[in-house]
Amino acid sequence: MNKAISKSDGKFELCFEGKSCSRLSVKGAPHACDSGSAPRFAQRSGYNLLLFSAILWSFVAASTFAQTDFDKANQEYAQGHFKEAISGYEALVRTGQWSANLFYDLGNAYFRVGDFGHAVLNYERALALERHHPEATANLQIARDEAHALELQQSGPERYVQFASVNQYSIAAAIAFWLAVFAIVMLIFARRRSATLKATLIFCLLVSGVAIYAVYTLERGSNGSGLAIVTGKNVQARLATADTANSVLALPSGSEVKILSTRGDWIYAALPNNLRGWIPAKDAQQVRL
Amino acid sequence: MSTPGRIFIAVFGIIATAQFAHADSPSVTAVLNSSEATLGATVHLEIRVTGVRGADAPENIMVDGLEIRRTGTSQRIEMNNLSLTSSAIYDYTVMPLRAGRFTIPPQTIRIGNNSLRTPALTLNVADSPGRSSGARSGRDAGAASANNPVFAELIVPSKTAYVGEIVPVQIRMGFDPRVRPRLIEPPEITGQGFTAQRLQQGGENTETIGGRLYEVVTYKTAIAAARAGKFEIGPVKAKAQVIVPRRQSAPRSRPRSPFDLFDQDDPLSDPFFSNPFSQLGERREVEIKSEPVALEVKPLPENAPPSFSGAIGNFTMTTDAKPKTVQVGDPITVTTTISGRGNFDRVNAPAIEDERGWHKYPPSSKFNQDDEVGLSGTKTFETVLSPNEKKQGLPLLAFSYFDPVKEQYVTLHSEPIPINVQGGAAVAQNAGMVQSAAPTPSMGIARPPVQSSAKPQDILYQLTELPRKPESFAPIYTQRVFWAAQLIPLLALIGFAGWKIRRTRIDNREAQRIATLRHEATDLMHKLHRNDVSAREYYSEASRVVRLKAALASGNRSIDPNMVDVETAAETFKLDSDSRDRLRRLFEQSDEWQYSGAHNGPGRVSPETQREVLELIDNLK
Repeated sequence: MNKAISKSDGKFELCFEGKSCSRLSVKGAPHACDSGSAPRFAQRSGYNLLLFSAILWSFVAASTFAQTDFDKANQEYAQGHFKEAISGYEALVRTGQWSANLFYDLGNAYFRVGDFGHAVLNYERALALERHHPEATANLQIARDEAHALELQQSGPERYVQFASVNQYSIAAAIAFWLAVFAIVMLIFARRRSATLKATLIFCLLVSGVAIYAVYTLERGSNGSGLAIVTGKNVQARLATADTANSVLALPSGSEVKILSTRGDWIYAALPNNLRGWIPAKDAQQVRL
Repeated sequence: MSTPGRIFIAVFGIIATAQFAHADSPSVTAVLNSSEATLGATVHLEIRVTGVRGADAPENIMVDGLEIRRTGTSQRIEMNNLSLTSSAIYDYTVMPLRAGRFTIPPQTIRIGNNSLRTPALTLNVADSPGRSSGARSGRDAGAASANNPVFAELIVPSKTAYVGEIVPVQIRMGFDPRVRPRLIEPPEITGQGFTAQRLQQGGENTETIGGRLYEVVTYKTAIAAARAGKFEIGPVKAKAQVIVPRRQSAPRSRPRSPFDLFDQDDPLSDPFFSNPFSQLGERREVEIKSEPVALEVKPLPENAPPSFSGAIGNFTMTTDAKPKTVQVGDPITVTTTISGRGNFDRVNAPAIEDERGWHKYPPSSKFNQDDEVGLSGTKTFETVLSPNEKKQGLPLLAFSYFDPVKEQYVTLHSEPIPINVQGGAAVAQNAGMVQSAAPTPSMGIARPPVQSSAKPQDILYQLTELPRKPESFAPIYTQRVFWAAQLIPLLALIGFAGWKIRRTRIDNREAQRIATLRHEATDLMHKLHRNDVSAREYYSEASRVVRLKAALASGNRSIDPNMVDVETAAETFKLDSDSRDRLRRLFEQSDEWQYSGAHNGPGRVSPETQREVLELIDNLK
């Protein structure tokens, strides 16, 4: 979205492409026609204030426009114009206004047009942004059942560490790490090294190590950064990067795969049932944007 | 041998023994190398008993029209994934005595007190070459040249086949043992329009062909035609090194052989072979080539059933399912076993005739071959089915193949298997309650649906609120703000460490000051105990000791000893009035001696006074 800020008579216009321009009046802004006797400092302060206000306003305006576009797409959806709704939601996704609700609604729109692969993909994206999104969880299961999609099997450690998110583990690891460092410093300077301090140090190091391991496991696991969803139809995972190569597994739309590497137009992926194979890159999309 | 090596061998031995001890129950298979033959041609029958080292197999098998005799016994031990399997193999030669269709009945194999029975086998014998010719086509051409030291022959049991049909092929390579052959290029079947499997060495034996002794190595493989038409299979080509006598410079004295392989004298009539040590031979490379064999490939008939996946041969099918009592949505593992002879690579899982009310997951398959080339064997499929509604029985499974003997398609159906599907999983109406009640199938595949297929579940409503700030997929540890936030504890740590260091330094200074004061006080006390000090010095040092002791006793207040007066010292030591007076007198005496010029008075302090002063100082605690 192209933005332009223009100034005239102390009023600033912020224009978005395809939108009407909005006028912003700033009190205290020095007018261009003011006499040149005004102190330079005051003039500079005024410009700074204007710039700050304009930036702030642009954020507010962008958020407002995003909400407007979102509402418009929701209206299209409510009227049964699912393809138009998809266009609206996708436009918002392209602008980077990502949110769990946006992807959830986009998944619903895809579900309505029978594209279960993209529906599953967007529900997964909603859940990647917000782990506890009950609506996305529910609709994801329905879409998977409709598509007969296959899921990746979680490894043992992954099942144990998934009660918290990567972000939560990261913060826990950082806090425990710093507490451990503080405990070490205290131990160094303490006249008597108390058992409590030592136990705290060991506990913090343990928590930090476990949290880092959990982050690694989750990021490398079936729901990690490599997770992708099959969006193509009648996709076959193959032994080699050729359409004529032997098939490893037929992947229904919406099936989960984990991207291991990419070669040209093909991706090598871990598949459900602990299989591995090559699938065309165009037939799968990564969950994390 | 090193200790780890011994441990490894011991562990390996224990595992191997355990594997033998826990071997699977014995099983028996019987395979004909060809189900078709012609009069005069022999067929090989192999009975393999797996899981035992020896068994009691019949010497002869009585079948009217066939002469079946045991020609050999061998043992094979295989190791797969640290699991040792021992097999006893009994080889029979089947000689047809007349044309017709014969059934070799099941044979009883005794293993200790138990007995196993082989499956019945069918053999079609034709009296003339054709569909069931069983001709060893290259044999005459190859082996007739019996004077050659080496020969190759390609044996294709039938002259006609269908597209995709697996045709077993034998390659026989014969060598005169006297040429001490060394195969440098294994035999390869040349030709187009067919695919050949990897060659498997079948065995070695000694045969007399044309009155000459040959060591014959047999290779087994199978070919499958890719398209219809007339093809030439072969020739088989191989390269070997053989020892031939050196060319002699002397003129030829013997007549030239018509089968002179090397365009010189017949090497086998050379005296070298009768006495190899009489002269040296040389190793020479020779190409061994068989005659090609013609094969007519016919297309499959048009009316293939829907469940036909390209399987050609002769198969049987059995089906089982576990568990037989489940809830709606629970997985049922259906195990289908397809046994027989044919192109197992085209044998797919049987199709479900009526999938309504069922959810099917991709099957897994496992193939156990009974012969070297995988022509006979058993393919087992495991398919997970999940009922979406109440059911009384499993759906029928259908498997179709083309029988090249009957020249028609055959469809096998599974037996009806009753099952009991009870109730139904709770329908999750609430988003938060949507949890699959069914356990995940053991294959780790998709969870079975919990909803009845009759009434599809609808998705939940749209959400209309957008957060003010866009969210990010990037984990927090990849974001700058996370690492910027680490500056806070880092700065706090630096501050904390700095404060600790400063405190330590301050503590050290105080300790040094106290040590200095103590040291000075001790020195002065030593002086006060001596008698050789003047009164002026004595009172000065006594008052100094009092000041030092007061400063040391002040603790955290850190009083400068130079600033201590009588009152401060009395306060510090909480002296009574008498002691206070004595201390005051001491200080006054000191000042008097210091400032009044009284140094001109008596030079020494009396011992009584010295004792009183010391007593006073000692009591300052």
